[in-house]
Amino acid sequence: MICCKECIDLLCDYFEGTLDPATAASLEDHFKDCPPCVSFLETYRQTSDLCRKTLTPVEIPEPVQIKLREFVKNHIQSP
Amino acid sequence: MPTQEEKAQDEMLVRDMKAGQMEAFDKIFELYQRKIYALAFNMTRNQMDAQDVTQEVLLTIYRKIDTFQGKSAFSSWVYRITLNATYMKLRNKKKEQYVSLDEGLPNFNHAGFQNEKVSDWSKSTDSLLFSNETKGVIEKAVELLPEKEKVVFMLRDVEGLSTEKVGEILDLTIPAVKSRLHRARLFLRKKLSSYFDEYQTRSSKK
Ligand SMILES: [Zn+2]
Repeated sequence: MICCKECIDLLCDYFEGTLDPATAASLEDHFKDCPPCVSFLETYRQTSDLCRKTLTPVEIPEPVQIKLREFVKNHIQSP
Repeated sequence: MPTQEEKAQDEMLVRDMKAGQMEAFDKIFELYQRKIYALAFNMTRNQMDAQDVTQEVLLTIYRKIDTFQGKSAFSSWVYRITLNATYMKLRNKKKEQYVSLDEGLPNFNHAGFQNEKVSDWSKSTDSLLFSNETKGVIEKAVELLPEKEKVVFMLRDVEGLSTEKVGEILDLTIPAVKSRLHRARLFLRKKLSSYFDEYQTRSSKK
């Protein structure tokens, strides 16, 4: 059986779906018997999701949009 | 990865722009300004800096379009210019900070097994996960990431680009992208876990 440390090292590849089937299966076997690793896996996945949802979408604030349009007009369209 | 249509559209716009058509630049401006600004803002967390970077990038696209040879996707070229301009900004105001990313791993016993309880906060209520306090914790933690890890995390997990695309933009191999991404996630997970654990303790005392 692979140990927790190996499991955690493989998490990134596991989520990318790039592990060979045998390794993925041994990882899933480990998860069946190891609650700490399941918690780790869930929070690892949630970290990415939560950060994405928290940090996006970045919208350009209205005053900045105006500045950018002016900039393009003055420096690029008619330099 | 951009779709085939997006790629074809970019190629057409680049061709038109090289031929001196201003409308093509306007279209590029429309298509890319949010992407440029968002990446610059997430890297600097500063509106003024993000605005400066966006202006510089627009100017560079306009002036240097002839040097773009199409060896990589146009969007990758734009991301690279954006990152270079962002690095210049960060360099000018960088306070030295050293964070050890080994911090992200749990405790193992000598056989490599975890020997303490790992709390699972992943299914907490939305009101906790998306509270302003949590947002603040995330922003601070991301800011602590070293540049190399931060940029990979931003492009891959926050902007949602594919691992291959991130490799193309940063000129890194796929394993190198994954290893930086993994280190960043471990570090952020640990920070979030400490925060949620502390939150539990705090609210159980009430
Ligand atoms: Zn385990």
